[in-house]
Amino acid sequence: MPHKCTKCGREYKDGSTEILKGCASCGGKKFLYVKESEINKDVFEEKTIEEIAGESKEEVLEVVEHVAMGKPKKEVEMFDRVETIRIVGPGSYELNIDKMAKSDERIVSVGDEEGSYIIDLMSMAKDEPKKKKGKKR
Amino acid sequence: MTTFSRTLGSAKKRFSVFLRRFFKKKRTRIGIYGPPNAGKTTLANRIARDWTGDAVGPVSEIPHETRRARKREDIVITGANGHRVTIDIVDTPGVTTKIDYHEFLEFGMEKDEAIIRAREATEGVAEAMHWLREDIDGVIYMLDSTLDPFMQVNIMMVGIIESRKLPVIIVANKIDLPDAAPARIRSAFPQHPVVAISGLEGRNTEELYEKMIHNFA
Repeated sequence: MPHKCTKCGREYKDGSTEILKGCASCGGKKFLYVKESEINKDVFEEKTIEEIAGESKEEVLEVVEHVAMGKPKKEVEMFDRVETIRIVGPGSYELNIDKMAKSDERIVSVGDEEGSYIIDLMSMAKDEPKKKKGKKR
Repeated sequence: MTTFSRTLGSAKKRFSVFLRRFFKKKRTRIGIYGPPNAGKTTLANRIARDWTGDAVGPVSEIPHETRRARKREDIVITGANGHRVTIDIVDTPGVTTKIDYHEFLEFGMEKDEAIIRAREATEGVAEAMHWLREDIDGVIYMLDSTLDPFMQVNIMMVGIIESRKLPVIIVANKIDLPDAAPARIRSAFPQHPVVAISGLEGRNTEELYEKMIHNFA
């Protein structure tokens, strides 16, 4: 059974991956799953696909991929972050100087997304009391 | 015989280390901090040249020229009234929250070189923060007075310095430039002494030296 764009009525074959990018004609993001026998129902009955969608019990498919990508990325404030350094890409870094001021411990996050970290255990295994001894304040 | 002389040698060495520690003159270690391109190395060079005739490190208009902390020890600064202070100057890499190699490409740098510079600059910031935590007794916080002082990194850094209870002098640099606005820096940090200078031309550095003697002695 094919899909039809609810906006312009363009047909797409069943299982077509094209619709994942939205309608090629009008850029519509909603598609109705129509029966083979009713493929020209909208033309014959002079109805819009949206009206047919209302009559039929089929669910209207919505391409959500684009919507998800368009969502504003949640920007985590630097001082709320767990990592000391974020490697955004080669030669591109974001530094958490507040954390750096507190200790030498290094948690590094990689990439633009939250939730992926590299923890430098060696930086945390230092002998604390010795360090304090050398401290002036 | 050799064992004896070796033991004697090591005992001597230990004794001299002990003596040095015991009689070591307390020096104040002053860190020059601030965002990249504020003129930290230019000021460090000026202080070193004015009082020792030596320089600290190279300067450039490309940000993050200083990527390792550099130290110049035993600088004796004498004020107009004869008061003096002995300091070690630590010129630190510019502290920032974002380092991207693309900004170096604008200066005609090759990509590979720019990426290495970004990596070294990142290590440099970590090193600067390490010094601040471990080994600094006072801070000269440098700002470019042609720029907005209310940048997050400046507020954070001054906050960090305050929380460590370190004496700080804020330097509004580059007053030789036409759009310099040191008054903006004064209003941004009313709780700290602010000195407007031109590190490049050496303008008003006497006032800075007097403030250093007053605050770091």
